[in-house]
Amino acid sequence: MSLDLTLKDWSTYRQTHPRPDSHPDLKWAMAIDLDACTGCNACVVACYAENNLPVVGKEKFAAGQQMHWIRVERYWNDGDENSPEQGAQFLPMMCQQCEAAPCETVCPVGATNHTPDGLNSQVYNRCIGSRYCSANCPYKVRYFNWYNYPEQVKAWPDPLPMQLNPDLTVRTKGVMEKCTFCVQRLTDAKNTARNEGRNVHDGDVMTACQQACPTGAITFGNLSDPHSLVAQKWRLQRVELSKDKQLKDVDGSHPGLRGYRIFEDLRPYPSVMYLERVRDTQA
Amino acid sequence: MTIKRILGLFNDFEQASAALHELREANLPHLDWNDVTIKSPIEHPDVESVLGVRSIPVRNYTLAGAILGGSLGFLGIATAQGNFFSQLKGGKPIIPLPPDFVLTYEMLILGGVYITVLGFLICAGLPHRSKRDLYNAAVSEDQIGVMVKSNAHCIVEVRKILENHQALSIQEEVVL
Amino acid sequence: MNSVTQGKERDIREDIAWAQINRDVLASLEQPRATYWALFALAFCMFLVGVGCEWYQYNTGLGVSNMNNPDMWGLYIATFIFWIGMSHSGTLLSAILHIIHADWRKPIYRFAEAMTTFSLMTAGLFVAVHLGRVWQIYYALPYPNERWVWPNFQSPLLWDAMAIFTYLSSSILFLYVGAIPDFAICRDHATGWRKNFYTALSLGWMGTDRQWRNFRVAYLVIACFLIPLAVSVHSIVASDFAMSQQPGWHITSFPPYFVAGALYSGCAAIITLFIMLRHTFRFEEYMTMPILDKTARLTFAIAMVWTYLNLIEYATVWYGADEVAKETLLQRATGPYAVYWWSMNFLGSVVPFALIFKKIRANLTAMMILSLLLNLGMWLERWMIVTPTFSHGYYPWTWNHTFFPSLVQWGIVFGSFGWFGMLFMLFCKLVPSVSMYEVKEMVFHRKLARIEAREA
Repeated sequence: MSLDLTLKDWSTYRQTHPRPDSHPDLKWAMAIDLDACTGCNACVVACYAENNLPVVGKEKFAAGQQMHWIRVERYWNDGDENSPEQGAQFLPMMCQQCEAAPCETVCPVGATNHTPDGLNSQVYNRCIGSRYCSANCPYKVRYFNWYNYPEQVKAWPDPLPMQLNPDLTVRTKGVMEKCTFCVQRLTDAKNTARNEGRNVHDGDVMTACQQACPTGAITFGNLSDPHSLVAQKWRLQRVELSKDKQLKDVDGSHPGLRGYRIFEDLRPYPSVMYLERVRDTQA
Repeated sequence: MTIKRILGLFNDFEQASAALHELREANLPHLDWNDVTIKSPIEHPDVESVLGVRSIPVRNYTLAGAILGGSLGFLGIATAQGNFFSQLKGGKPIIPLPPDFVLTYEMLILGGVYITVLGFLICAGLPHRSKRDLYNAAVSEDQIGVMVKSNAHCIVEVRKILENHQALSIQEEVVL
Repeated sequence: MNSVTQGKERDIREDIAWAQINRDVLASLEQPRATYWALFALAFCMFLVGVGCEWYQYNTGLGVSNMNNPDMWGLYIATFIFWIGMSHSGTLLSAILHIIHADWRKPIYRFAEAMTTFSLMTAGLFVAVHLGRVWQIYYALPYPNERWVWPNFQSPLLWDAMAIFTYLSSSILFLYVGAIPDFAICRDHATGWRKNFYTALSLGWMGTDRQWRNFRVAYLVIACFLIPLAVSVHSIVASDFAMSQQPGWHITSFPPYFVAGALYSGCAAIITLFIMLRHTFRFEEYMTMPILDKTARLTFAIAMVWTYLNLIEYATVWYGADEVAKETLLQRATGPYAVYWWSMNFLGSVVPFALIFKKIRANLTAMMILSLLLNLGMWLERWMIVTPTFSHGYYPWTWNHTFFPSLVQWGIVFGSFGWFGMLFMLFCKLVPSVSMYEVKEMVFHRKLARIEAREA
């Protein structure tokens, strides 16, 4: 707590983010191939199991008080009945771990912040439940504990508590939660790597949704590692983290590009790239 | 010489003002005009001007309070943002100037108002133990009081002047 | 500025004896009409309803309010803004009209200032009610702790906390300091426990020129501070919405729009309380019909400012390029909340035109009903800002949710009016609700002006 430290911090901390060199070593990112996604919801179930998510029941789900950190959204295209899917489209949507997350600035107590490895963190202990973060989220991927699921609603009647993941907490009422890219697994992988004196290798850690996906639609890894699969996919699609308009959308000069990020023009700089469905327009 | 206090009550500001003017013209030798006080149910700047120019230091307190509030606010907030658990939020700088400006503005007003109230209490001499001073409840109702503190000889002269201007009642007491 | 009206009804009778002023106002502290007790009992019952609902919600979880993803905010935030808005009337009357020397404010500003203080206290309740973990609300305060964690100063909600704290404490100080001479009057006429109470509160005020001199300057200085403070407080509350990205909220005209709405609902509330106090405490001599007339005209002027800013908001969205914002606006007009939205526009923009008619301004029943309707319009406005944006935000997956508040939410909103009423009634019994010394000043200066006019 000194004047020197304050002045040094002042110049260091007056810079905005994201910049291309924001995360030189480790930046977790994801790529989801919508052409491979069948909408089977295995990722959703895996997420429930891995992250101690309460099943809220039919009534509360219909009322909009569901707790699924990753949700498979269904959209119906009216003109597409002749295609094999009969007009259905699926989009798995989870927290996009935005580099300039709109939720982080508005939490009154600072319960959500940006970690050095590029995740948007949610600190359950600090959250007082003002829900401003969710109000500001363009994707509405933040979920609030409307009830006390473990103790009052009894979301895990015996013997289900034995199935809970001991690596993370069970949240009480009044706390905001969201997808963390399975941060408990990431921390474990980073610890192992540090103990062995190396960096995290690609493939060392998988998120629960990635692990469960039967078609391998989800790719996850370190975007700052140029050899990782997810970095290769981003590079192939010419998608860059700190740009707000990618080559695919600038003009029609690259029709083969499929990679895009959702709501890029709002400039949250999300860390999840989606690969467009391949459509047979000539059939 | 014993020091005495005298309080004369008048019906309205004109009579009180006339009494004060006569007191001025009388030019009593041992009368210190700082010991002349007007007690009234409402303020009257014109009548007060008869007493001479008296300073109102409250505004200095206000300035000091505003500057103190604003600078403490900014320093506190900027230091906290830079040093306490400084984490990136939303792609903004860790010490962002727009939010800091808003809060500095609020703290400036907070400091200004609090220190003004403090200054008012100090300059007006409140809280004041009224038992130590001559007071008549009629002053809070509708009568104007003129209070003079001086030696006993002067007080006799003052009494004559007050009676000349139809004082409704006169109280005297010895100051211990 | 003395407005001497010749031949017309005057704001106050210039030949009221000052002793009479004392007597009338002090009588209000001791013998109000029976209506007072009825109102107090009603307010208390309403408050109990609110307490019951909050108890249930506190123990069960916020889900009982019917809020969901994406409708994360509901009536609590809307009513919070409504109460903060209502608090601006006191500042308008006390501070702004004081600076421009409009002395017709003198008989009515004391209860308006009290309204400010209690509105802010009621708004503070909603901050607590709306939180998921109320018991940890102190996390929002910058206090020393072992983890070296302070709140996030970037958040507009935190600016709210600081601004409202500043406004509440400054209002209380302003109200108290302005009432010191009146407490001295009460002290001089009280007996028993009241005498001790008022003696403590009046700080030994004796009306000396030294005290008046400093009082005058301090009062003016605090009034000058309160005006930018009031504007900034409601602008900060508006920035809760304007600083977010959501369609229908991210509008630069929100801060002045909110401040105009605040002044509007505050003025309407002043009219309501004016009529209630005039009857309950027999203040017909002081809260006169010409003063009500002026307040009504002021309300109309502010209603027109609000209407303009409201229409400009729609126009800028309509002519803008943000497609989602346009859809949100259309949804407000044609979607599930259309009834409330159209009511808000009607009550807020069309109904104030009734204030043009002198006959209506002079009719107490009509003014009472009108002021309540105008405030209903303003409450609806706050709700129509909050909920429709949630139900039609950027993300298409969220679009099939329609949110209506549950009985628990309505109960707590209802209870807040009871809490406010209770505090206000208590205030009127303990503190003179008409400022005696200022009314004496008003009578004195008008009498002087009348004499000068006659001699001229």
